[in-house]
Amino acid sequence: MKNRFIVNPDLCTGCRTCELACSFTHAIEGLRGQTRIYPLDGGFKDLWIPVVCLQCDDAACVKSCLVDALRRNSETGAIDLNQEVCVKCMACVAACPFGCSVVDQQHKLVVKCDLCGGDPACAHFCPTKALKWNPIEPQTRKVAV
Amino acid sequence: MVNLTINGKVVQAEEGEVLLSVIRREKIDVPALCHHEAVEAFGACRLCVVEITRQEWDGWCDYVTSCLYPASDGLIVNTHAAKVNDLRKTIVDLFLARHPKCPEIIELAAEYGVYSTTYQTVVDGDNCILCGLCTRICDRMGFHAISTVGRGHGKEVSPPLHKAPPDCTGCLACAQNCPTSFIEYSAAKGFLTIWDKKFELLKCSGCGKETITKVFAEHLCQERKIPFEYFQICDECHRKQLAATMGEITSWDREAAS
Repeated sequence: MKNRFIVNPDLCTGCRTCELACSFTHAIEGLRGQTRIYPLDGGFKDLWIPVVCLQCDDAACVKSCLVDALRRNSETGAIDLNQEVCVKCMACVAACPFGCSVVDQQHKLVVKCDLCGGDPACAHFCPTKALKWNPIEPQTRKVAV
Repeated sequence: MVNLTINGKVVQAEEGEVLLSVIRREKIDVPALCHHEAVEAFGACRLCVVEITRQEWDGWCDYVTSCLYPASDGLIVNTHAAKVNDLRKTIVDLFLARHPKCPEIIELAAEYGVYSTTYQTVVDGDNCILCGLCTRICDRMGFHAISTVGRGHGKEVSPPLHKAPPDCTGCLACAQNCPTSFIEYSAAKGFLTIWDKKFELLKCSGCGKETITKVFAEHLCQERKIPFEYFQICDECHRKQLAATMGEITSWDREAAS
């Protein structure tokens, strides 16, 4: 894990460019895929929250998968869904407490954020840098004991 | 790692890995109806047949189902040799005779140029190709609710004693992965019916959307220690909830900054 995905809702303008970028990046055979990132207003005025998979440590989706299709990718740090192994039982969709495992109705697949295999397209396209893919810098400041 | 040749291209594979996985990884289109990565190979549909040979075989070759044959060093594989295509054509021809009304089979047969079967058609045939994928997936999920029963002409996929299966949780994995969409289910008015068993569907407390069955959710809670509250709200309402929580925190920050 060399990079960290940072979401800063304070900078989000709700332009939904990330949604488009995600959808086009995950296109299958020329058909747009289901977006994995959702900019929602959360009921607040002038405030948008890009809701995206939090890649939890003790993830409910991984626990709920009875065929071990969901595994953590040690390179990117994301929880990857292996489409070949997935049996589409919808357990992860129902179990995720943040609603970030979603169904792609068009392609009849269950999808979730995989950080684009280590280079998230949404972070590239975000015009206000509310989404960032930052390298983790080695800790320089000494921590007081 | 072993080196083998597929359609003239040298590729690397793990020792003992089945040929079909290697072929699929190389993005070569080989049809297979009974194959699924989640379960062990079965070799029921025979459509993934390929031609194999070796340098030392002096031109002799063999025809094997690639979903069961392990990759080994020096193997020469041809996935679309004329003889292989002929074999596949015969197999789809037989499938078409047995399941003349199955849309998936008709489509596959048309790909191989078979528009009407040369064999005698089974008139009252159903669309089940008896590949056993549903039963294998059910076993892999840990339910063992269905299995193949009977032999020969009477063989079919069924729950025990043709009654509503006590171990079924209504996860729909069998129906979702059936290559010919034969397994029927219906969801209406908050209830799901599959294998003649009726299940209560969980309803989102926010928007009323129906999610998975209550029995399946309870099974996951018990087996995988997931809190039952997670299943009471649908994915969309979960996202809204997360946005509301994050929004509240961000608005505090804004107030503190102003």
